[in-house]
Amino acid sequence: MKSWLIKYFAVVRMTWIQTLEYKANALVGTFAIFSGLFIEFLIWKQVFQAQNINEIRGFTFNGLMVYIFLCMIVGQLKSSWATSMEMIDSIRTGELNKYLIRPISFFTYHFMMFIGHNSLFYIVYTIVIILFPILIPGWCFHTKIQIVGFIISLGISIYLSYTIYFCMVCFAFWFGEVRSLVIAYNIANSILSGQIIPLRLFPEGAREIIFLTPIQYLVDFPVSIATGNLPIEFWIPKMAMALLWCCIITITGRILYGYGIRAYGGFGA
Amino acid sequence: MPIRVNRISKHFRLFKREAGFSGALKSFINRKYEDFHALENISINVEDGEILGILGENGAGKTTLIKILVGLLHPSSGEVDINGFIPWERKTEFLKQISVVMGQKNQLWWDIPASESFLLNRNIYEIPEKNYNKILDELVDLLDVKDKLDVQVRRLSLGERMKMEIIAALLHNPKVVLLDEPTIGLDVISQSKIRDFVKFYNQEYNTTFILTSHYMHDIQALCKRVYVINKGVSLYDGDFEVLTNKINPRRKLLFEFSMPPDTRVIDKLLTQYKFTLKNNFLEAELPSDDLTSLVSELFKMDTPSSITLEDLPVEDTMRSFFLEPEKFIK
Repeated sequence: MKSWLIKYFAVVRMTWIQTLEYKANALVGTFAIFSGLFIEFLIWKQVFQAQNINEIRGFTFNGLMVYIFLCMIVGQLKSSWATSMEMIDSIRTGELNKYLIRPISFFTYHFMMFIGHNSLFYIVYTIVIILFPILIPGWCFHTKIQIVGFIISLGISIYLSYTIYFCMVCFAFWFGEVRSLVIAYNIANSILSGQIIPLRLFPEGAREIIFLTPIQYLVDFPVSIATGNLPIEFWIPKMAMALLWCCIITITGRILYGYGIRAYGGFGA
Repeated sequence: MPIRVNRISKHFRLFKREAGFSGALKSFINRKYEDFHALENISINVEDGEILGILGENGAGKTTLIKILVGLLHPSSGEVDINGFIPWERKTEFLKQISVVMGQKNQLWWDIPASESFLLNRNIYEIPEKNYNKILDELVDLLDVKDKLDVQVRRLSLGERMKMEIIAALLHNPKVVLLDEPTIGLDVISQSKIRDFVKFYNQEYNTTFILTSHYMHDIQALCKRVYVINKGVSLYDGDFEVLTNKINPRRKLLFEFSMPPDTRVIDKLLTQYKFTLKNNFLEAELPSDDLTSLVSELFKMDTPSSITLEDLPVEDTMRSFFLEPEKFIK
């Protein structure tokens, strides 16, 4: 276990060093999220003013902004689409060879690279989240247990999201180019997970379908814990369900990878 | 770490399409596939500490064979046993004992210095720190790249990068190293340094090397034994010198007379041997036996100012071989 940790922490460390090589890129990437929030702010402000309302399905304007901002942070932290694109490319171009010839796991190596690349986000967003209850009191993290629940559910969301991407990546073994699949999933996921519009604003039927899939655990679940929209008695059953999805998708990914690697041609390298 | 390869074949299913937009459109609607036999019934045994050269033209199947040996590809049929391991099972213990350097691909992180990639490999291969420092120092000295360790990989020259790749591949002290075109694109000095290094490393550590290269000088300098593949089929397995002699048994003689030779004797020799004579310099390209008798005749005439016996350029020899391999090997 110890050597496993040392081995994969070394990968995280490498990504930190790489991130620091390009300071400007890292800083712009970290604060890019604020442009998205600004656009959402303008749209919803217009909606509230035009309709002359104080609340939409239980969301006040401030409550909605807090919810959306948290959704954006969670969405950013769990999204490993850039890593997935790299993985697809490495299968298509034969770069995968350099992972296969070493005693490392392609899945874990890239997961650690993803964690490493996102580390700067973790630091900045942790500071933002700590400042949240101070700057806008009363909208999230009312109790300490909410912080713990949020961190655990965020961890599950990050892992679950990565395993879903990994399953899609594995199709590159047969089809070569599957980036359009990842892009299509990304678009669908950003809407259906509640990243742009809260799930509570979705039609009832659509919400019921989404709640049958693992997508609800990606963004809506951690944010609902943070904002207090999900009562504490639902946390454990929901977390257990999310972990079950993690197991199912991890196993699916392993099976796909196991078959995929047999079909791998290693061309181009 | 003995390598046993028994009748392996590898078939790929490749899709083909005509050139141009209409070809792309046709292929989009109805994609046509073709079976490609990259390797057919290949068997090789390699012993500990051997340096085996794998020869063949582009597309002959050399890289496919290397990829099967390191476990990147599953063969369509046949068996491979490397010291009790089946490569494509990719067991950790096996991966810790082999290494591969592909001249056209790199495992180093592009944007950061090579020294960081070495540290990563140290953790991946779980190399104890003391061993790591000793091996790294030795490799860096041998390949003369000490001052380049902290330079971003993308800023290194091709030769320096290849040296770094070799260091990264050898840090865990593998028992088998597969080098696929390690000198491709390098200048002659870098090529020669890498050849010298491989030779030294093989002798020092008894490491088994399997090497593919289009530069015959690499093969000539390093490999006593070669395995020749043509269109996926084995053509020859044996001594490289025997092969080159078989293909071109001629050698070149340059004999400088110390004084103008007797023209009558020369005319007589010309009836038996083919050579040219210009300003006391006699030049002949003959099979070894004929050359030996010509030299003894010439020594009867004169003690030469200088004499040189050369093999014909191995590149030319192998080129003529690959044009018509069936002519030389039946």
